[in-house]
Amino acid sequence: MPLRRSVRLAPLALLLVIAVSLPVPAQTPKSGGVLRTHPLSAPPSLSPHEESTIATVQPASACYNNLIYFDPAKKQEGEGTIIPELAERWSWQDGHRNLVFLLRKNVKWHDGKPFTSQDVKYTFDAVRGAPDAAAKLRVNPRKLWYDNVEHIETPDPHTVVFRLKRPQPSLLLMLASGYSPVYPAHVPLADLKTKCVGTGPFKLKEYRPGEFVELERNPDYFVKGRPYLDGVKWVIVKDRSTQIAALQAGQLDVAGSGWNKANWETAKSGKPDLVTIEASSNVNVNVLVNFKKPPMTDPRVRQAVNLALDRKAYQAGPALGAATFGGAMLPRPAGVWGLPEAEVAKLPGMGDAAKQKTQAKKLLADAGFGASNPLKLTVSTRAIAIYVDPASWMVDQLRQIGVDAVLEQIETGVWHPKMTRLDFQVALNLTGIGIDDPDANFFENFKCGSQRNFSGYCSEDIDRLMVQQSQTLDRAARLKLVNEIDRRLQHEGARPVLGWGKQFYAHWPYVKAFPLHDNSIYNTSRYQDVWLDK
Amino acid sequence: MRGYVAKRLLIALVTLVGMSMVIFSLMRLAPGNIVDVIFESAGYVDQADKRLLERELGVDRPIPVQYARWIGELLQGDLGKSYRYDMRAWTIIKPRLPVTLELAGLALLFSIVLGVPAGVVSAARQNRPIDYVLRVLSLAGLSMPSFWLGMVIILLFVRSLGWMPSVTYVSPFEDLRANLWQFVVPALAVGYRSSALIMRITRSAMLEVMREDYIRTARAKGVWTRLIMRRHALRNAMLPVVTVIGLEFAFLIGGLVVTEQVFNINGIGKLFVDATARGDFNLIQGLVLLIATIFVLVNLVVDLLYGWLDPRIRLR
Repeated sequence: MPLRRSVRLAPLALLLVIAVSLPVPAQTPKSGGVLRTHPLSAPPSLSPHEESTIATVQPASACYNNLIYFDPAKKQEGEGTIIPELAERWSWQDGHRNLVFLLRKNVKWHDGKPFTSQDVKYTFDAVRGAPDAAAKLRVNPRKLWYDNVEHIETPDPHTVVFRLKRPQPSLLLMLASGYSPVYPAHVPLADLKTKCVGTGPFKLKEYRPGEFVELERNPDYFVKGRPYLDGVKWVIVKDRSTQIAALQAGQLDVAGSGWNKANWETAKSGKPDLVTIEASSNVNVNVLVNFKKPPMTDPRVRQAVNLALDRKAYQAGPALGAATFGGAMLPRPAGVWGLPEAEVAKLPGMGDAAKQKTQAKKLLADAGFGASNPLKLTVSTRAIAIYVDPASWMVDQLRQIGVDAVLEQIETGVWHPKMTRLDFQVALNLTGIGIDDPDANFFENFKCGSQRNFSGYCSEDIDRLMVQQSQTLDRAARLKLVNEIDRRLQHEGARPVLGWGKQFYAHWPYVKAFPLHDNSIYNTSRYQDVWLDK
Repeated sequence: MRGYVAKRLLIALVTLVGMSMVIFSLMRLAPGNIVDVIFESAGYVDQADKRLLERELGVDRPIPVQYARWIGELLQGDLGKSYRYDMRAWTIIKPRLPVTLELAGLALLFSIVLGVPAGVVSAARQNRPIDYVLRVLSLAGLSMPSFWLGMVIILLFVRSLGWMPSVTYVSPFEDLRANLWQFVVPALAVGYRSSALIMRITRSAMLEVMREDYIRTARAKGVWTRLIMRRHALRNAMLPVVTVIGLEFAFLIGGLVVTEQVFNINGIGKLFVDATARGDFNLIQGLVLLIATIFVLVNLVVDLLYGWLDPRIRLR
């Protein structure tokens, strides 16, 4: 009898097995609802081209479009994940010297005016600081990105040609960044600091500085059926505990910009239903060593400082267990251009802590510093908790090798002027890289004379290699060059990296298709595919 | 009376002018430069662009010239431009003013409703159990920072009810109920501290008055104790209490920084701290001027109340 019953039930069991093993059909997105979240901090303005903070890119991204953008659904950004936006198609011509974009037709700005190639020329002439540009940005942080663009042509209203001085494949990635929206030529640049006239999926409903940025659905958006949301509200919540409480109380749907692992765990422990996401960030904590000011002009002292900073202790301490190690480029597998893992393990500060500290003491002794004549160092940092915590740790590490180190906290308004003037000995700094490409990192942070080369490091040989890698079209050959540059930067102690940070976000289960990328924090906030399952 | 008010207003004007000079000069003597602040968001400082911008904003001119320009704008009702937000300072301050006034008003209301009766009861029942209980409660109120109390209240609400006051401002004209819910909790947290102070002042003032001859006479005449307390003692004890209430209100306008941060209330205090951290000089000057004006006006109101509470005080 039991056997016969088993035989009778067999088809049912088979059906059940098949049903379980079949892929779960993707949910059909629903339209409606307003996504409530918070930016990193209060945006200083709504104009991404004039700012260097994600706090501006976050709310402004949903209002604008780029020519091209990184696919929000793909975790790792790269040339292969670029999708069309205002450009329908693009192609490299003349041996990667000309980049031609064919633009979408019938796209309108939020104020109803038509979008044309003139808008593209206007935007990028302003950004690259072209002498004949129709407008000038008051502050232009990414001028260097477009240094290689010689001329922008608009043969017709729907074609744009970027003519380059030399081949530069990374230009595509820069144009795909959240920092590269297309601005309307008919709206003065100054107005875009407080209002937003874009072509993007959301229009500005209300902006109250320091309070919120509210966006509403753009019914004329050129991507049919998008966005799914009726709006996005970026509420400025400065205090992290309040952010956590607001998420748990359901006043925010998504939270996590600027969170560390402890914040993430607190949120999750209070509401186990919350969905948590972890990703790399392409933001690193680095040490600025002043190459122009004694005693840091002595390579032995620089090396000693680098060796003294035990990276594993950094991870266990101020990084709260959430950091990855690498050189100047984001480490693999999150990053594309990082040094091989085996090499990273051999970088200064990665080995046995006791042995490295002994080695550091010996180097200092060789440089003339010892117990009777200790090296006096001031470790400068920005007076913000995420800077001060690792800087305090750094002071302790330096004291362990006999350095008479003290911490100097610098007010935010004075920080960059001081760094630009190289008015410090050593400093602890945080650097976010806009896109995971060597051109966006090397030229800005390591090239001789760059405005943001805060260590004053300068090597003509490295500069030459930078240009060489930038125009190398073969990817494998370029990677080889990039690794070579990185290796030399690490060997010379140019801006040693303590660790690469991570992102920790949490959202309610009804939030669907929330994008988070592994190798940049700047390129995901368009939110046209995000929907609420409510 | 009219002469007195006019004289006080004139003194207030001189005070405000003096204060504006001090704050204007101090801001410019502090390390950092307005243009550096603008470049701060770019992550570097371009020296050539910086010089151009300094000229454009007029900050390359001598401080007295800059001050004269600012005063000129002020006389036309313009507080100047916020360099950080690239907007008129008043446009940023204006929506925050009713928020702070509501929070301060509610907090003050709670503190008076709780503090004055508690002080009277405590004085009337001196050294009895109820007095000890009230004194311990008031000491606790003075010892506990209101932001900490606010955070504990938020955590209790979130953990037990899954609710917390709204993190975005709800206008009473949109939804009165939601508005009250938003402000009641922070107002209680802040009001508790103020009520403790008011309770202690009321108690000591009442005790002092109750030792006066006219109170003893009233008792000897057989006047009912409650009537003595209300009609003779409380009114005469109110002078120091009114002074403290006035000062507390003025403090609440600009001093609720951390509480505003914890409850994410975008009021004047939070704006003040943000503006100071970013070196947004015009915004800071506007806010200081506003808070100073409120201080001066509240003091004037308190002085006028003295005359009403105690007719022996003649305002000349």
